[in-house]
Amino acid sequence: MEKEQILKDVNEIFCDVLDNEDITIDYNTSAPDIEEWDSLSHIQLVVAIEKHFKVRFTASEISGWGNVGEMIDCILSK
Amino acid sequence: MQKGDKFNHTFQVTEDIYQGFINIFNDRNPLHIDTIIAQSKGFASCVMHGNILNGFLSYFIGECLPTKDVIIHRQSILFKKPTYLGDILEFKAEILDFYESVNALEFSFKFIHHERGIVAKGDFQIGIT
Repeated sequence: MEKEQILKDVNEIFCDVLDNEDITIDYNTSAPDIEEWDSLSHIQLVVAIEKHFKVRFTASEISGWGNVGEMIDCILSK
Repeated sequence: MQKGDKFNHTFQVTEDIYQGFINIFNDRNPLHIDTIIAQSKGFASCVMHGNILNGFLSYFIGECLPTKDVIIHRQSILFKKPTYLGDILEFKAEILDFYESVNALEFSFKFIHHERGIVAKGDFQIGIT
């Protein structure tokens, strides 16, 4: 799957999980950029992303993400 | 805990639970407290509050799992059949998935009456804290 398509899919997941259809993310987006993105919603984001892309992350992988781009690189690496 | 683990428990909708729920939450809808009205709607007698079952679910998650270090993330329930005062319900739960990345577990569950079968079912997600 192309990186651009993954970004689009992840953006939809962010809008759904964070209950805000106006969210637009890019590769540099990180938690401080989105008000609704806190530690609890992060859990739901990760679970939703794992379900959507049928991948599994490890705890150490996700703790290494600095932004959406690194999250997507991790998805691509699966 | 891991994927596929199964859990069982037995709950009963006692008078204390029924009255306690009413006194705490004040839901005195006729369906729950007026036998004539409940029967006019096709039920055998007063229908118990569905959210009593969510109370049982809270007990199960909080007290019956191998660890107390839990927090509920999400839960959903589908009410399929009425529950009546005095009902004894078999509760069955199974771990559907474990998300190691965020230390979260997803369960399915159902409440089963020996005659009416599955009276409610659903799923929930918990985090291990």
